[in-house]
Amino acid sequence: MTPRPFTVGGYVLSIATWLSLWFGVAVVAVVVGGRLWAWDTRLQMENVLWLRLEWVATASVVGAALALAGLAFQALLRNPLAEPYILGVSGGAALAFILSSLFLSATLAPVFGFVGALATVAIVYAIAQRRGRLEPYTLLLTGVIINAFYAAAIMLVTVLVRPEQRGDIAVWMMGNIGAFGPQWGLVKVVGGLAAGAAILFALLAKGFNLVAVGEDTAGALGVPVERLRIITFVVASLVTGASVALVGPIGFVGLICPHLLRMILGPDHRRLVPAAFFFGATFLVLADLLACLWEGASDRALPVGVLTAMCGVPFFIYLLRMRWRRSAEIR
Amino acid sequence: MRCRVVHLVAAFLPVFFLAGCDKGAPPAAPAAKPLRILSLTPNITEILFAMGLGDKVVGRSTYCNYPAEAAALPAVGDTMQVGLEKIIRLEPTIAFMVTRRDDVPKRLEGLGIRTVKLQSDRMDQALESIRTIGRETGRPEAAQALIDRIETDLAAVRRRVAGLPCPKVLFAFPMTVGSSRIMVAGRGTFVDELLTTAGAENAYPEKADWPTVGPQQVIAMAPDVVIINATGEDAPPDRVEAIRQAWQSLTSVPAVARGRVHILTETFLTIPGPRVGLAARLLAATIHPELRPEPGASGAGWHGHASEPAAEAAGDAQCESLPPLPRRARIALSGCEGGRP
Repeated sequence: MTPRPFTVGGYVLSIATWLSLWFGVAVVAVVVGGRLWAWDTRLQMENVLWLRLEWVATASVVGAALALAGLAFQALLRNPLAEPYILGVSGGAALAFILSSLFLSATLAPVFGFVGALATVAIVYAIAQRRGRLEPYTLLLTGVIINAFYAAAIMLVTVLVRPEQRGDIAVWMMGNIGAFGPQWGLVKVVGGLAAGAAILFALLAKGFNLVAVGEDTAGALGVPVERLRIITFVVASLVTGASVALVGPIGFVGLICPHLLRMILGPDHRRLVPAAFFFGATFLVLADLLACLWEGASDRALPVGVLTAMCGVPFFIYLLRMRWRRSAEIR
Repeated sequence: MRCRVVHLVAAFLPVFFLAGCDKGAPPAAPAAKPLRILSLTPNITEILFAMGLGDKVVGRSTYCNYPAEAAALPAVGDTMQVGLEKIIRLEPTIAFMVTRRDDVPKRLEGLGIRTVKLQSDRMDQALESIRTIGRETGRPEAAQALIDRIETDLAAVRRRVAGLPCPKVLFAFPMTVGSSRIMVAGRGTFVDELLTTAGAENAYPEKADWPTVGPQQVIAMAPDVVIINATGEDAPPDRVEAIRQAWQSLTSVPAVARGRVHILTETFLTIPGPRVGLAARLLAATIHPELRPEPGASGAGWHGHASEPAAEAAGDAQCESLPPLPRRARIALSGCEGGRP
């Protein structure tokens, strides 16, 4: 694919396209997911409408946040496997959230989720850095090891609590959109953070592009690589921690969305950042709609985290194979 | 010492004060080994203590915490994870458990412990379990007395609600973090039977064993009254308030619109044991506010005496066979109506 020239008009147009895609999917998700036409009274319909609006908003902000975090981690670590989950950020947020809601305060659990995510990045960074420099692969391996530790800690907690709570933890760990009661406050926080991260990453996009070429090249061209890294890691961890606090750990959005977009748009982060913001939102809204339809048909809840993993993987493999075949033909 | 134990048991379950006196004489123990009972399920532990067998119980499951004397006994795990060494050290002669599994009972039988598997998903199974325990421990009269008392209690509740309107009631557990669904009592469960006894129709329309439902299904069921059983980590006031808030948005549900979402923090509502009568009575008083005593009324009412906790007031002669509702229940009840205290 030959890269198109980057213009302001094209930029606005692409944002508008992604925005309208998200909006269309969101409207369908609200109406179809809530079966808004099927209710007896107007009041019932309004209740369900608000419920669906909140859940679609939740899916949107979380999808946007996770896709952005994945995109940023992949860009700065120059590693296609980098993702909030692989780096242990989600695990840290999840462990802190679980510990807080079980033993401290359920109300403060989201705050501890943030703290867990940030602390994890600090720990991973402290272990992986050598004289202020970060080796991408050391960082990734450190994340994997920290993740293993968190997984064991969560298992330990699961064994220690009462059996009824075991089920709750297991369900939460699968990642679910929506709670029984409204959570608009937390949705707004995550949405605000995701929007802030999108704007910040859009401003840093040129730096991402140069780092992707090579750190030394980027450094030689005047990009403050280490500072860019720290800022990006802190922001990406913050949005990840907030998402985990809202819906639990939902995997694969941060891995799949940026890769799909790279296949469609090419490697330019100036295009990728806004696209990831809206496409991540669209992706998770769609996944939540499928989960909702499944729930309506079978009366069994389908955790959206399970769905993103199960649908995401084959799709990803298919696209990867297609791209290889095409590039082979070109050669 | 035995007298003291009997006394304490009686403090919780007044009816057994008399039963305990009957058994005050040393049991005519034949030459057999002394009875050493292991209980691996909370409702069985409660039943054993209610039958005056508390001093024969040597071990309990991790979750048996009622009555207080039971909580003081050594815990050996639960039916999923049994601590076999601990069990061997306690030298029980007989073990009771509610389980569908075969491996644990087999294992205990292999250790030479008589092991009795019981069922208590429904009321009749719970009563049958009491009968079985009576047979196995050589106390059939105590078992029959307990069964009679439970049936009397339930009949009393049935009489009270007879002729009253029969609202649609949804019995649910609180929402859990990260899940949009709540667990509710399906038809055919033990709690469903209690709701029927308490003069209500289960709002969940199908036969099911504790299904989960989302808010959309709650809106569709449109229950007249919602009873949420918040126990354990859901019982503190801030959690109760959060649960109340979570329900407020469902304005189309009649229970929400009329302020009939009741959050009860009692732990015994879902235990098929000696306190089912108390549970049915609390449910009836919650579902039918018209049953609550008139402000000036004296004597045996639904609430017994206003100030004493259940354990202390249990010997009160004015009460019926049931002890008064625990204080927390009264607070929860008076909080939901907004009218008189």
